[in-house]
Amino acid sequence: MNYSLFDFFTDPVFRAPTIGSMLMCLASSLIGVLVFIRRRSLLGEALSHATYPGVVISLVIMSLYFPDSEEKAALGILIGAFAFAFLGLFVIHQMETKLRVKSDAALCFVLSSFFGLGILIASRIQITHVSWYKKIQLFLYGQSATMTDIHILIYGALSLLIIAFLLLLFRSIKAIYFDVDFTKSLGMRVNFFENMIFLLLVLAICIGIRSVGVVLMSGMLIAPAIGARQYTHKLSLLFVLSGFFGMFSGFFGNYLSVFIPLVLQKEGEKTFSLPTGPMILLFAAFICALSFLVAPHTGLLSRSMRIIQFRRKCVVENALKTLWKKGIGEGAKKQAIFDGLKITRISSFFVLLKLVRQGWVEKLPSKNYQLTPFGFEYASRIVRLHRLWEVYLVSYLGQKVEKVHRNAEEMEHIITPELERELTELLKDPKIDPHKQPIPAKIGEL
Amino acid sequence: MNEEILHIENLSVNYDKTAVLWDISLSVPGGKLIGIIGPNGAGKSTLLKASMGLVSPITGKVEFYGKPFKKVRDRIAYVPQRSSVDWDFPVTVFDVVLMGIYGKLGFFKWPKLAHKEAAKQALEKVGMLAFAGRQISQLSSGQQQRVFIARALLQEADVYLLDEPFAGVDMATEKTIITLLDKLKAEGKTIFVVHHDLTCVDKYFDWVIMLNTCLIASGPVEDVFHAENLMRTYGKSAILLDEAAKLSQTKSAGL
Amino acid sequence: MREGFSAINPYWDKDFFQFFSVFFSRLFYLLTGQLSLTDLASDEVQVFVLALVAISCGLLGVFLVLRKITMLANSLSHTILLGIVLAFVITRSLATYAGEEFSINFEILLIAALISAFLTTLFTQFLTHTVHLQEDASIGLVFTSLFAFGVVLVTSLSRSSHIGIEAVMGNVDALHVTDLKLIGLVTLINALAFSVFFKEFQLTSFDSVLATSLGISAKFFNYLIMVLVAMTSIGAFRAVGVLLVLSFLVAPAISARLLTNNLKTLLFLACSLGLFCSLCGVALSRHILSFYHIPLSTAGIVVTLMTLCYTLILVAKKTLKLAAKKRRA
Repeated sequence: MNYSLFDFFTDPVFRAPTIGSMLMCLASSLIGVLVFIRRRSLLGEALSHATYPGVVISLVIMSLYFPDSEEKAALGILIGAFAFAFLGLFVIHQMETKLRVKSDAALCFVLSSFFGLGILIASRIQITHVSWYKKIQLFLYGQSATMTDIHILIYGALSLLIIAFLLLLFRSIKAIYFDVDFTKSLGMRVNFFENMIFLLLVLAICIGIRSVGVVLMSGMLIAPAIGARQYTHKLSLLFVLSGFFGMFSGFFGNYLSVFIPLVLQKEGEKTFSLPTGPMILLFAAFICALSFLVAPHTGLLSRSMRIIQFRRKCVVENALKTLWKKGIGEGAKKQAIFDGLKITRISSFFVLLKLVRQGWVEKLPSKNYQLTPFGFEYASRIVRLHRLWEVYLVSYLGQKVEKVHRNAEEMEHIITPELERELTELLKDPKIDPHKQPIPAKIGEL
Repeated sequence: MNEEILHIENLSVNYDKTAVLWDISLSVPGGKLIGIIGPNGAGKSTLLKASMGLVSPITGKVEFYGKPFKKVRDRIAYVPQRSSVDWDFPVTVFDVVLMGIYGKLGFFKWPKLAHKEAAKQALEKVGMLAFAGRQISQLSSGQQQRVFIARALLQEADVYLLDEPFAGVDMATEKTIITLLDKLKAEGKTIFVVHHDLTCVDKYFDWVIMLNTCLIASGPVEDVFHAENLMRTYGKSAILLDEAAKLSQTKSAGL
Repeated sequence: MREGFSAINPYWDKDFFQFFSVFFSRLFYLLTGQLSLTDLASDEVQVFVLALVAISCGLLGVFLVLRKITMLANSLSHTILLGIVLAFVITRSLATYAGEEFSINFEILLIAALISAFLTTLFTQFLTHTVHLQEDASIGLVFTSLFAFGVVLVTSLSRSSHIGIEAVMGNVDALHVTDLKLIGLVTLINALAFSVFFKEFQLTSFDSVLATSLGISAKFFNYLIMVLVAMTSIGAFRAVGVLLVLSFLVAPAISARLLTNNLKTLLFLACSLGLFCSLCGVALSRHILSFYHIPLSTAGIVVTLMTLCYTLILVAKKTLKLAAKKRRA
C-alpha cells in the first residue's frame, strides 16, 4: 500500500475526505480566531454538543424520505444541526440574561441536555436501523472517510461563504473586537455584528462536525488560533496562520488516521480504523505544543535563550564597572576583577577573555587589565544609570539612601535609553548621586 | 501598648508581569487606627494579603508580634473586599457571621450555642441583628459591609485588617463603621484600613502608610500626611517606577 | 449482563406503575435479607447505580455550580478516559480487555482519578502560567487534546472503537453488581466528605480569601473537589459515559436552586431530584420496552427527565410569580 501524498488529492477515494476535511478545518479555524479572542471557547463546546440531536433527527428523516441522495442527506444534516445549535444558543442566552443562571452552568446545562436528548433519540433506531445508527455515530468523533465529492462542493461553498464574510467584515471586526467602547460611541451596530459572528460560529461548527466530531469540535475551533497567537497579535496574520494550521491539521489528521492503523496492524488481526476527529485535533495540539516551544518571540526556547543572554550581559557590565572604578592608568589585577563577579573562577576567566576579544578591555604590559576608550564609554553609561536611578529613588520616592544601592545594581542593566532620557529630564540632569559620588555625563548626544 | 505590632522587611511581591510591591520596610506600633493609602494598583490590598501569606513574596518577610502570620492567626481578623465574594450565594446573614469562627473550630467540630450567641451580639454591634435571617442577596452594600465586620468581630482578635471598607458605602454606614473602629481602638486593638481615596484621612486615622508600589512614608498622620508625600504617592513621578518595574519583569521572563 | 430469559427477569413485560410495585417489594426483600445482591435483576442494578450516581452528583454538583467550575468538571470528566486507559496500562494490559467485559475495580479507579486530576491541573497550569494563555482556552485545549489522546490510545490498544463510543454514552445494560459496589463506595466517600467538611466547603465556596486567612486552605479543598469529580465520573463512566455525568451534576443543582436558598436544603433537593429522575427513568425505559418493544437508552431518558424537571420547575415558578403579581394588582 504505497500512496504518495499527491494521491490524497487526486485519488477519488481519498480526495473528498482530504480536501473536505481541509476546507472544514479552514472554516472552523478562521471563526475560531474570533472565538479565541472573545474568550468564548466554552460556548463552542456547548454549541457543538447541541447539534447532536439535530444530526440524529435529520439523518433519520433524510434516510426515510430521500434514502438514495447523498447531497440531500448532507444538506439535511447541516440544516438540522444548525437549527438545534441555534436553539441551544438561544437557550443559553435566555438562561444567562433572564434566569440568573451563571454562564458556566448555563453552558454545561445546554451541552448535556441537548446531547442527552440526541442519545435518547438515537437509541430509538439503534437496533432497528443499524446502518443509520452507524452513520450517526460517525458524527461523534468524526469520520471523513466516507465523504464524497458532493461533500467537497457543499462544505467548500459554505467555507467560502465564511471566508467571504470575514473578508468583507474585516475592518469592522478589527474595530469591534479591539475597542468595543470606541465603536459603540461611533454608533456602529455592535450587536448586529456580534450576532453575525455567532451565526457564522454555528455554521462553522455544523460544517466541522463531520470531520472532527461533536465531542472534539470545540478544541478544533481554538487550537489553530492558539498556535497562531504564539507568532503574532495582528488580526490579519492570526487569520492567515490559523487557517494554515487548520488546513495542515485537517490533512495530516486524515492521513494519520489511515496510516497509523496500517502500521499497527499485525498479521491476522482484525482491521480497525481510527476516527479522524481525534487525529486532527491531536495534530493541531501538536502544532500548538511546537509553537509554545519554538515561536520566535514568545516561544520557551527563545525566552530561555534571552534570559541567559541577559544574565551574561549583567556579568559583563559588572566586570566593566569594577574596572571603571579603578580608573584609567594602572588598571586592575585579574583577581580584583574576579572578586567583583559572583561566578566561578573559570567562568570569570572566560568573561575576561570575551571582554578583551570584544574590545572593551585591553591587557597592559604589567599583566593588569584596563578599559579601552570604548570600554570606558560603556562602563560610564552603566555607572551613570546606576547613580541616576539612586537619585530618582531618593529624591522622588523618598527612599532611604542606604537602601537604594541594591535596587540600582539591578536596574542599571535594564534601563533603556528612553527611560534614561525621561529620568534625566525629570531629575534635571543631576551631577551628584545620593552617596555624594559624581554622575558621569550623558555620552553621545544625538 | 507601644510594642511593635507589625514589622515588614524588604517585602517585594509580583503579580503576573509587574511588581506590585517593591522593597517595603516598615514598623507599626500597636493601639492605632492605621490608614493605608495610595493610587489604584499601588499594592495596598497586596500588602494586606502578603502579610497574611495569601500571596507569596519574592523577597522579604512580614511579622505580627514578632512572629509570622501563621503562628498568630488567632489574634488577627481579616475583612476582605466586598467584591471578592458572590453575593448570590445561598446563605443568610447569620450564617456569614458564624463563618468567622470556622478557623478556630477546626475540622470535625460544629458551632455551639455559645458561638451562636456571640454571633448575635456581633450583629447587634453593627446594627444588623434584625437582618439575621435574611438572604445576603437582598442586602445593600452598606449592609453587606457591616455583616463582614460583624464576622470579623466574632473572631475577637487584637489586630483587624480591613480592605476598602468604605468603598461604595453610604454615609450612615461609614459613620457606624468608623465609630465601631474607634471603640475597638479604645479597647487597645490595632486596626489597619486600606482606604480607597483621600477623604477624611486626617480625621479617621492616627497613623498612615503611603504606598505607591514602594513605600513613600509610614508614620503618624501629623508628621507624614502632607503635600510633598502626597505628590510622591499620587504624582506622576511614580510612573517611571512602573515602567522600570515592567521592564524588569519582561527581562526576567525572557520576553 | 444482557437481558436474560424473560422468566428470570421479574420486570419483564411490566408497565410503568407495575415496575414500582415490583421494585419496592423486592427492595423490601433485599433489606430484610431474603434477597441477596447477586439475585438482583438488571433493572434493579440500573436503578441502584443511577440512584447512587445521582446522589454523588447531586452533592458535588451543588458545589460545582456555586463555585462556578462546572466547565472544569466537564473538562475533568473527559480527561478521565485517558486516566482510565493509563491506569489499565499500568496495572495490566488493555489488549486483553478488547472484548466487551472490562470492569474497573477500586484500585484502578483511584489511580485513574489521581492521574486525571493531576494531568488536567498540570497542563492547564502550565498553559495559563508559563505560556500566559487565557483560562477558557487552556481548559478547552487541554481536555480535548487529552481526551483525543485517550480515544486514540484505547482504540489502538483494543483494536476497536467500542470503548471509545461507550465512553461517551455509557452502557447501562452492561452494568454488573461490581459496578454497583464501585459506585456505592464512591458515593460513600462523597457523602462522608461533604458531611464531615460541610462548613469548610461552604466557607471556601463563599469566601475563599477569608478561608485561607483563617487557616482553611482553599487550594486543598479545590483539589479535593477535583479528585471527587474525577472519582465520581469514573464511577459513573460505565453507566452514563463522560458527557451525561455533566447533566447529573448540573441539572438537579440548578433546579434545586430555583426552589430554595438554604445550602443544606439545596443539597438534599439536588440529590432527591436526581434520584427521582433515575427511578422514573428506569421505570419508563422498562415500560416502553414492555409495551412498544423499543429498547431506548436509559441514560438518555434520565437526562431528558432531568431537563424536563428544570423546565417544569421554572415554568411553575414563573406562573406562580405572575399569579401573585396579578393578585396584588
